[in-house]
Amino acid sequence: MTDTKTEVYESFVEAIPADTIKLETKNLDFFYGKNKSLHNVSIPFQRKSITGLIGPSGCGKSTLLRALNRIYALYPGQKAEGQILLDGANVLDKGVDLSLLRARVGMVFQQPTPFPMSIYDNVAFGVRLYEKISKADLDQRVEESLKRSALWNEVKDKLHTSGLGLSGGQQQRLCVARTIAVRPEVILLDEPASALDPISTAKLEETLVELKADYTIVIVTHNLQQAARISDHAAFMFLGRLIEFAQTAKLFDNPKASRTADYITGRFG
Amino acid sequence: MAVLDRRNRRQIANTAFVTFSTTAAVIAITALAAILFSLLVKGVSGLNLDIFLLSTPAPQSHGGLANAIVGSLMLCTVAMIGAVIVGVLAGTFLAEYSGLHPLLNAYGSVVRFLNDVLLSAPSILIGLFVYYIAVRPVHGFNGWAGALALGLIAAPVVTRTTEDVLKLQAKQLRESGVALGAPMWVTIQKVLWRASSGGILTGALLAFARISGETAPLLFTSLGNQFMNFDLTKPISNLPAVIFQFGLSAYDDWQSLAWVGALLIAFAVLSINILVRVLSQEQKRS
Repeated sequence: MTDTKTEVYESFVEAIPADTIKLETKNLDFFYGKNKSLHNVSIPFQRKSITGLIGPSGCGKSTLLRALNRIYALYPGQKAEGQILLDGANVLDKGVDLSLLRARVGMVFQQPTPFPMSIYDNVAFGVRLYEKISKADLDQRVEESLKRSALWNEVKDKLHTSGLGLSGGQQQRLCVARTIAVRPEVILLDEPASALDPISTAKLEETLVELKADYTIVIVTHNLQQAARISDHAAFMFLGRLIEFAQTAKLFDNPKASRTADYITGRFG
Repeated sequence: MAVLDRRNRRQIANTAFVTFSTTAAVIAITALAAILFSLLVKGVSGLNLDIFLLSTPAPQSHGGLANAIVGSLMLCTVAMIGAVIVGVLAGTFLAEYSGLHPLLNAYGSVVRFLNDVLLSAPSILIGLFVYYIAVRPVHGFNGWAGALALGLIAAPVVTRTTEDVLKLQAKQLRESGVALGAPMWVTIQKVLWRASSGGILTGALLAFARISGETAPLLFTSLGNQFMNFDLTKPISNLPAVIFQFGLSAYDDWQSLAWVGALLIAFAVLSINILVRVLSQEQKRS
């Protein structure tokens, strides 16, 4: 590990038009206690598109994702330094309302985590926190969210049964529905398909591609094919550094960094 | 040869061990069966409707246990309400908040240690303590003091179970609530408590079973009352104290009532334990 510190990391970041940037990190460092696990990461996320974060285990892609909605702040000892700009405002500033930030930047986790309540209440959970809306409006919001997450047809007759009774793939789409019901601006997904079978994965991917019409989506995946299939931009990370960021097709067909090439051709990782 | 020797030795050791543990199990079960048997034999004969309708009698007269049953239920209920409120909140603090800051962490360790001490504290000490803080200052035995003593015994059980059950919940369940924009305290109330409700209920029921037979702390606090009493500021009758008083008395009918009281408590504790088993089975299934 000692030689990695002296090694020079060149990062190749393809610029995207400034007015299309929804969210971006600038010189972001991240620490688990004294352990620095992100080094100077600067990466833009384009509005209404999908950005895939790829890289070997432990490269910092989940850490980066967890910095974006400051979910890490639940754990003392974890901290981020640098800038994370959401519509130009730094979310790392003191005094940022974390609950409000997380309502704007939603997150779906690796393991499906339905709450121990009905399907309807799962989806309505976040809405009820921030909006006082009528029963009819809430019903409509729940239906719309379930439709957009491609779950409606499977659950419309059992909305008031427990969310824990659904299959793994359905549970994950329920988590997506729950997240979009709050109408966030950005959706972060941390390897959302790693616990799912291929059919559920395909459905989830379709859902994400449809959702990008309205949302800025960032997805962490260690499945390269998945990143190639659904993302518009891809970022390759290695040892806590951003190695390359480009349009997905360019990154996969014509990577600029040799490490990226090695990784996507399967030479390591 | 050496291999055979070793195999023989293993078999002998195995047989000896199995015999030993089986015997131990038989002894334990025999003791339990003997207790239940004598309870049934001596208790069932005294069981009749008057037990639930009449209050404890004067010597040589007819009566029942109604005042003691009502008193015990009141004391245990009040104690459990307090113990669940304190226990769930303290357990939640230990599981969810004590890790957030080094100072809280140190405080949490102290609380956890004291809670463990309290868990195994002799109940007579708790009785004596409550006598000094809630009986002597008001110059009289009273129901509130009894409920307080029982609550002090039940609260550590609830605290411990709540902490354990909350810690079993997936980290991602916590994060999911927070990631939807819910503050931590809302996530705890609406998601984590709900996910842990079965376990917390089990802990509360076990605590209830534990305090339903406690005698020593009640002798120092609620004492007893020959009459039906719903006023917690006055001495109040309760089954364990009646068993203690009547069981040691010289009167046959009092002794018979003591056996019935013991049978009732044993039956209540047994039912609670069965209920807990059923509940945890159901939880495993869901």
